[in-house]
Amino acid sequence: MSSTDDGETLPGVPNVGTDDLDAMVDQEQVDPRDELADVDADTDLGIAMAEDAKRVSRGELSGEDYWSKYDEAANTEFGEAYRKTPNPSVQSGDQTIDADVAEDLSCTVGSMESVAVELAEAESATDDTSSDKTWGMVIDLQKCVGCDSCTVACKAENRTPPGVSYNVVMEEEHGEFPNVTRTNVPRPCMQCENPPCVQVCPVSATYKLDNGVVNIDYDRCIGCRYCIIACPYGARYFDFGENYDDEVEEAGEVTSPEYGVDRGKREDGKSPVGNVRKCSFCTHRLERGEEPACVETCVGDARNMGDLDDSDSEVSKMADSSRAFQLKESEGTDPNVYYLK
Amino acid sequence: MATNSSLFEFDPGFENGRLRLAWYAFIGALLVGGGYAMWLRITQGMASTNLTSIVPWGAWVAFYIYFVGLSAGAFLVSTMANVFEMEGMHRIDRDALFAAIISMAVALLFVWVDLGRMDRMYFPFVWRQLTSALSWEVHAYVAYIAILVTELYFSMRIDLARLADRLDGFRGSLYKLLALGRLDTSEASQAFDQRWLKRAGILGIPLAIFMVHGGTGVLFAVSKARPYWNSGLFPVIFIISALLSGTALVMVLYVLRTRLFDGNSVDRDLLDRLAQLLIGFIVIDAALTAIEALIAFASLHPHEVETWQVVLFGEMSWSFWWFMVGFSWVFPLVLLTKRSWRRSPWVMVPAGLSVVIGIIAVRFNIVVPAQILPVMEGLPHGSYFPSLVEWGTSIGIVAVGLLLYTLGAETLPLTPLSGGDHE
Repeated sequence: MSSTDDGETLPGVPNVGTDDLDAMVDQEQVDPRDELADVDADTDLGIAMAEDAKRVSRGELSGEDYWSKYDEAANTEFGEAYRKTPNPSVQSGDQTIDADVAEDLSCTVGSMESVAVELAEAESATDDTSSDKTWGMVIDLQKCVGCDSCTVACKAENRTPPGVSYNVVMEEEHGEFPNVTRTNVPRPCMQCENPPCVQVCPVSATYKLDNGVVNIDYDRCIGCRYCIIACPYGARYFDFGENYDDEVEEAGEVTSPEYGVDRGKREDGKSPVGNVRKCSFCTHRLERGEEPACVETCVGDARNMGDLDDSDSEVSKMADSSRAFQLKESEGTDPNVYYLK
Repeated sequence: MATNSSLFEFDPGFENGRLRLAWYAFIGALLVGGGYAMWLRITQGMASTNLTSIVPWGAWVAFYIYFVGLSAGAFLVSTMANVFEMEGMHRIDRDALFAAIISMAVALLFVWVDLGRMDRMYFPFVWRQLTSALSWEVHAYVAYIAILVTELYFSMRIDLARLADRLDGFRGSLYKLLALGRLDTSEASQAFDQRWLKRAGILGIPLAIFMVHGGTGVLFAVSKARPYWNSGLFPVIFIISALLSGTALVMVLYVLRTRLFDGNSVDRDLLDRLAQLLIGFIVIDAALTAIEALIAFASLHPHEVETWQVVLFGEMSWSFWWFMVGFSWVFPLVLLTKRSWRRSPWVMVPAGLSVVIGIIAVRFNIVVPAQILPVMEGLPHGSYFPSLVEWGTSIGIVAVGLLLYTLGAETLPLTPLSGGDHE
């Protein structure tokens, strides 16, 4: 465009020299020696390892050589902490190190995921009430602004096809102009204590878990849709096999491990196509110790997730408050989703 | 197909060869069209329907309960002969039973095509749910079909034995096989058959009324999320409308088969008796439906009142007024009023057909309206009319039933060889 174009500049983008940017990065960088002075470990070893780690990432040094070089030193320096922490290099795909080298390492070899699982197991072993958890959700209607980001987050998390939306926000307008009010009522699956959907399923493909979540076994569901008929909240959806391939390239490539089962790529004639689907309280996230996607994303912090059986938990306190109510209480379904007026 | 017997006139096929050809060509055309629709259904999956997550049940479910009703009604008509021993009804005993069996087969085909996972159709026999009406129903259907086949066997066995005795070759062997080798035609063997026929019928009556069709009504009535169905009267109306459609079907089949297959004249007393039954069932059906509507309106329950408003004045109200009220109640009732009309086969056939078609609308008006209003304010309204694939597969499945019935009527001794009543 302009005559001073050096070939690197894009139209409409100010030409800032990359050297200037690199200088800014260097300026922000802290002195490693100062940083490491505050920790107990050997400063020289730390700096050497960091420098070589950079060489590994530039491809000048292999992962095998790196660990052969520092294994002994790290073992001496960190002792048990080093031996017990799994070295994730073996299973991390792009930075795999040779099995023989892994064998020689004095520390445990494994993935970071295995560390997380071990930590969770250790936690649950000490906390024997965790298996009696009843997951519950409390939605504060005073905080809900009706932005529908829970619906969007849910779609993104659970990769639901067109026509299937585990969460919707029901918008109700009351009164006459100028005295009008509007209430937004987000509606996930209520995870009822007495679920009518479970009652009617002819093959027991949907059932109540001990943790309060109503589960669907996609390998058993025959797609008769009786549960959709029976649900008083309209929370169940049939998967007609549609997809977003026309809107998004490779939309079906990413899938969600619903109910903790990874089913791989979405294909015609393969479950959950032809099955009934619904919100699972993001079981797969709960299992990782995360909140459901809708709770995490809520801009007004209107959604709360927790253990209803724990009387000290925030959700059970909120569910006990005088503001709390459930949808269609007269149905006798006793939802585990509560709302605050 | 002449018989070499001097004792029996057995020629169960069409009297008129050209009519036969035309009829099979007609069924063939329906099967070709239905087969293509079925291919679309299987390759495109449930996306080939106009069903949604808001209206998950449509034409296939309506036809399924329609044919279950037709079967239960036809079976109960048969018990008037073989259990209650009503005079002059034995003539239609086998007709009714055979039609009941075919209707059940058609009903199960509709259930099958409606499943999201057609390949998992046997799952309800592997896994069960005690609280699910549907789980109980599929077992009741199997038991009921077993009863129907048992009954037809005991009703027809003696004539099968007689035919096996008198015919040679393939047909003789076929009848021998169908008689399960019991070729005794003595009075004692006939008495044995009739005793077991009655026993099976006695077992079948509660099964048909309470489990098969009452149970199908319960399937809907237990759904408290749909107040339109959630009523104690609902299963009762199911049974009455089943009796209505079943009686009408048996009446039509009796006249058509007697005239077109047997070439005999119709027993006018029998026709009159069936016609009078039909009047009774129409009155009860209309009255109970009116009571049901009255209770709904008097409850002032918004969901129920609005659903009835959808039925009476909504987009699809023509199906209620023209088909349900017109075809299944008013039109046949007019034709049934005059004694001489009731005794005239060519008046009773349109009256019966009118009911048989009108009850289809009754079934659609059961299934669809309850799904139009959202279960909660703020959720979208439903709207449904079957897609071409749904119509096509439905016609194809009905054609399978017509074909099976015609093949059976052309080979089996559905008309007792001894003429009318059991001797």
